[in-house]
Amino acid sequence: MNSACFPPLASVEAVRPVFLIVMGVFILLVGWRLAQTSGKWTARMLMAGALLLGFGYALLMPMYEAGVLLQYSPKAHSPLSAGSVLGWHIVKLMAMNTGWFLFGTGVAMHANILGSPSARAPRVGAEETILSPHESAA
Amino acid sequence: MNPLLETIINKGLLFDAAGVIGLGLLGLGALRLARQHQSWGSTMMAAGAIALLLARLYIVSSPFFINDDFLLKIGPVGVSLTMGLPPLLLTLGLAGIVWGLWSHERWLRVERR
Repeated sequence: MNSACFPPLASVEAVRPVFLIVMGVFILLVGWRLAQTSGKWTARMLMAGALLLGFGYALLMPMYEAGVLLQYSPKAHSPLSAGSVLGWHIVKLMAMNTGWFLFGTGVAMHANILGSPSARAPRVGAEETILSPHESAA
Repeated sequence: MNPLLETIINKGLLFDAAGVIGLGLLGLGALRLARQHQSWGSTMMAAGAIALLLARLYIVSSPFFINDDFLLKIGPVGVSLTMGLPPLLLTLGLAGIVWGLWSHERWLRVERR
């Protein structure tokens, strides 16, 4: 049967690589746009993470899904598992984990999670002074 | 085998820990953004990070407690859940993070204009 060999066009198996590619490209795009509006080191973290994640999601994962690259498993001792499979497995580990780490750190720095709250204090006060007459009027 | 490759394979948990820490930072940052700006995109991003974190924690920890006895105990519904839930969580989490990030970024542009 032909349908057994090829997944149907609208099935989850066929859509998932496309979804992953779209998500990878989107992460790159949004990371780049976010990096434009943020500070030096935050932008570097965001861009490094977005590049790694974009590479991982847009290239590596669809290749794994398509079966071009074989899944590494420590129990299987096929002749292939020594060379290229292991290498790609390490590339995947590095790209995904380092990518999420850098991207997460970048977003946390963008959110000023390590900054002191006193830096934001004047803005909170300004918001209150704007809000209070409105509240009294209501 | 190359000793460098061997250590990387054996210390795979270290890399996974880096990924989990990164996702945790992403979730914390998203929560901080959501409280600061009260934009729904950041909330979406935090939810996505939590979903991704759950799936990743399960994938990292599953080799330690999944065996035949455990699979027999949870029955066919549980087995199909263990097979179906992680990809679903991974997909939804990724979509949530990307969507939330996009909407937050767009919100920032509108705010600055």
